[in-house]
Amino acid sequence: METEKRWKQGIGEDTSFSAYHPAVNFIFFALTIGITMCSMDPVFLGITLTVSWAWSILLSGKKALKFNLLVTVPLVIVMAVVNGLFTHNGATVLFYLNDSRITMEAFVYGAVSALMISSVIVWFSCFNVVMTSDKFIYLFGKAAPVLGLTLSMIFRFIPLLKSRFAEISMGQRCMGRHEEKKFFAKVRQVVKEVSILISWSLEASIETADSMEARGYGLHGRTSFHLFRFTRRDGILLLWILAIGLVGVIGAIMGATSIYYYPKIRLQQWDLMRIGVLACYILLLITPMILDVLGEKKWQRYKLEI
Amino acid sequence: MATIQVRNLTFTYPLADKPALQNIDLTIEQASFTVLCGKSGCGKSTFLRQLKKNMTPYGQRQGQVLYDGEEVEQLEDRLSVTEIGFVQQNPDHQLVTDKVWHELAFGLESLGLEQAAIRRRVAEMASFFDMQTWFRKGVAELSGGQKQLLNLASVMVMQPKVLILDEPTSQLDPIAAEEFLKVVHKINRELGTTVIISEHRLEDLFPMADRVVVMDEGKVIACDSPRRIAGFLAEGKQPHPMFYGLPSVMKIYAGCTAGSDAIEKGESPLTIREGRLWLEKVLGMPREGTLQQEDGLGPDQGLNQESSPIAISAKQVWFQYEKGAEPVLRDFHLQVRKGELFCLLGGNGVGKSTALKVIAGIRKPQRGEILVNSLKVNKENSKALLGKGLAMVPQNPQALFTEITVEEELLEALYYERAADQEKAQRVAEMLEMMEISHLRKSHPYDLSGGEQQRLALGKILLLKPGVLLLDEPTKGLDPFFKITLAGIFQKLKSQGVTILMVSHDIEFCAAYGDRCAMFFDGDVVSVDQSKAFFAGNSFYTTTANRMVRQWNRKLITWEEVCQWVEQVMTHNERKQ
Repeated sequence: METEKRWKQGIGEDTSFSAYHPAVNFIFFALTIGITMCSMDPVFLGITLTVSWAWSILLSGKKALKFNLLVTVPLVIVMAVVNGLFTHNGATVLFYLNDSRITMEAFVYGAVSALMISSVIVWFSCFNVVMTSDKFIYLFGKAAPVLGLTLSMIFRFIPLLKSRFAEISMGQRCMGRHEEKKFFAKVRQVVKEVSILISWSLEASIETADSMEARGYGLHGRTSFHLFRFTRRDGILLLWILAIGLVGVIGAIMGATSIYYYPKIRLQQWDLMRIGVLACYILLLITPMILDVLGEKKWQRYKLEI
Repeated sequence: MATIQVRNLTFTYPLADKPALQNIDLTIEQASFTVLCGKSGCGKSTFLRQLKKNMTPYGQRQGQVLYDGEEVEQLEDRLSVTEIGFVQQNPDHQLVTDKVWHELAFGLESLGLEQAAIRRRVAEMASFFDMQTWFRKGVAELSGGQKQLLNLASVMVMQPKVLILDEPTSQLDPIAAEEFLKVVHKINRELGTTVIISEHRLEDLFPMADRVVVMDEGKVIACDSPRRIAGFLAEGKQPHPMFYGLPSVMKIYAGCTAGSDAIEKGESPLTIREGRLWLEKVLGMPREGTLQQEDGLGPDQGLNQESSPIAISAKQVWFQYEKGAEPVLRDFHLQVRKGELFCLLGGNGVGKSTALKVIAGIRKPQRGEILVNSLKVNKENSKALLGKGLAMVPQNPQALFTEITVEEELLEALYYERAADQEKAQRVAEMLEMMEISHLRKSHPYDLSGGEQQRLALGKILLLKPGVLLLDEPTKGLDPFFKITLAGIFQKLKSQGVTILMVSHDIEFCAAYGDRCAMFFDGDVVSVDQSKAFFAGNSFYTTTANRMVRQWNRKLITWEEVCQWVEQVMTHNERKQ
């Protein structure tokens, strides 16, 4: 019952892959998204799209399915049509429109680019789930402590402003405002609420600044604290990802992941190198998903044993 | 050994005609617990800010503040940051980062500590403060009490020798406040940290304190042990205004010793237990039969129940925030009569505020009916109801402030009103008068103190001429003197026929001024009665004065009543002899 619900809603951010060091998470996404962006071969794209869909649904459940459909379907249609109508390259003429050649190649190219872009978007949606704010802050804090702190303050501020604004709206409603039906009165009300929000927040920030100064902000030699530890298991996974990822990158640079669309669509030969690149690529993409599924299974077994 | 020495300190804000602090001489011993009390705006915050480098406001300063024999202003930055900790009023405003653990580490990061060292200290602090369960949470998810504990912990993590707290519980509800003060006491007791705290909530603090410093208009007027301070303040014909802010037990003691010469004067009891022991000495053990004898509580002294019409009526109201969530209101019933001050009491997070929002029509109940002045609360009637008949004062007064002066702020309330400018100005002036803020008419709303802001917000709402006024924790953060003023304002409103429904944690206030009180529990009102009968009927959820004397006479609710009664009994006993 409970597990079923978990599958439906997605397993969220506390997954096996998520539990690895942020650097490992980040490098995986950098490689995956990088290679995906350099791929124009329908086979490669098909695989990356399928895996990204599968993983995002595993992570976020029904919500992800809706999001993926909303991203992919319209994008493919729009880009195929737009590219088809505005690009006149290609050998296979379908028909003429106002003396312009409308070719099959242009349609296909548009659709395939849309697949590439939508899989990048879906990968980013997974990135969003896995790379929580503290991982993000940690990675930036490594680069410069102040940058990490700034990010952390921004992440603190967004929910704070939201709740403050809700409180202001509520307060105004207590006064019987918000009941105006006229357009200008409504605008006036919104402007008023935003202005309250700004003056309140500025006033509060004086106290925040005091609190920061009282705790030594501005002293020389600031460090950046975090809760992450790079362990052996992180190292092993990182090596694995780097090894297969680099094969993928080299393949992409050498053009193994693309094909020619103009003037005629020409699929590449499946030589040993391309098969190797494809195999590594698939392994790279499915690594986190397999880790997550194995983790879930292990947990279920564990619960049964209790 | 003295940690902090203040010598002849005088401080004047720029452009002020009077100094905010005058000739203050004070020595604070190491590991002591000092409570600083006084009216709002008497210079407590200004004084506390002189004790920490970089927190001192701009202005002219004479005299010396020494920390370990060295001028505070001359202290080395790192030393000042680590050894003197400062916690301010507002829990939200002091938080800097987004996660609890990061907030804890903030100060140590500033000092440039290594990862391992920070990890260790943060772990220690989280264990000391019992924060393990919310260590990895985002700060936005925390309750007000947890936020303020986090602020305290993230100062303590730097291992300060002196901890300064400026009204740290003024934004918290009483239960969270009590928790917080317990932790402060623990820090003082177990870590030996010197604590200097300014507060209005003296009931909890006095038993912890070594010394109490009373300030008035920028001067220190008393500095003594808590047991002796009451006697000092009660001296003279008219007790010092600060006297009314003391814990009830002390007020009773001081009142009784002043009223009857037969009672020996000495050191004041601080807690209910000590108070009872003292009363036993004075009056003798409570007789067995007392309880039964005095059970009849006499005729109602409040409103005549039958005659006045019902202003607010809620029937079978059910409310839940989202589907599948636990209902906050379950079959909620309430009847409030016109012209009464009705207090809704109850524990923390039981849904009192939600009930208020539902009555105000801000939240829509799933089932049930609410009538305000016989008008149904729903979307169609909202315009007719809100503003005109029904208005609510939000917990945070800032949510209402838009203008740059107090006067314009009040005028803004009348923006949609069709009236001549002169008439509007007239009404604003009257309201300024009524709220006793006329002298602040040109000030910026944000420059007012908490109590003054509360008054301004109330005034703004009252300009809408509501017949039914809903208040959410109106006494939060107010000093005891203004509570008396507020009660006076409520009295005036009631005489104009305004119905007041307030949600509160403040038992003492509700007992002293409420007409009827109700206990809210598990989504509904479980008991309603005239204030007196209500508190006399409760055993634990009642005023301090009542808890102290209920073995002798459970009818007595306020400290004044207890004093009168003791006096009567004493004269009676004397005559018998």
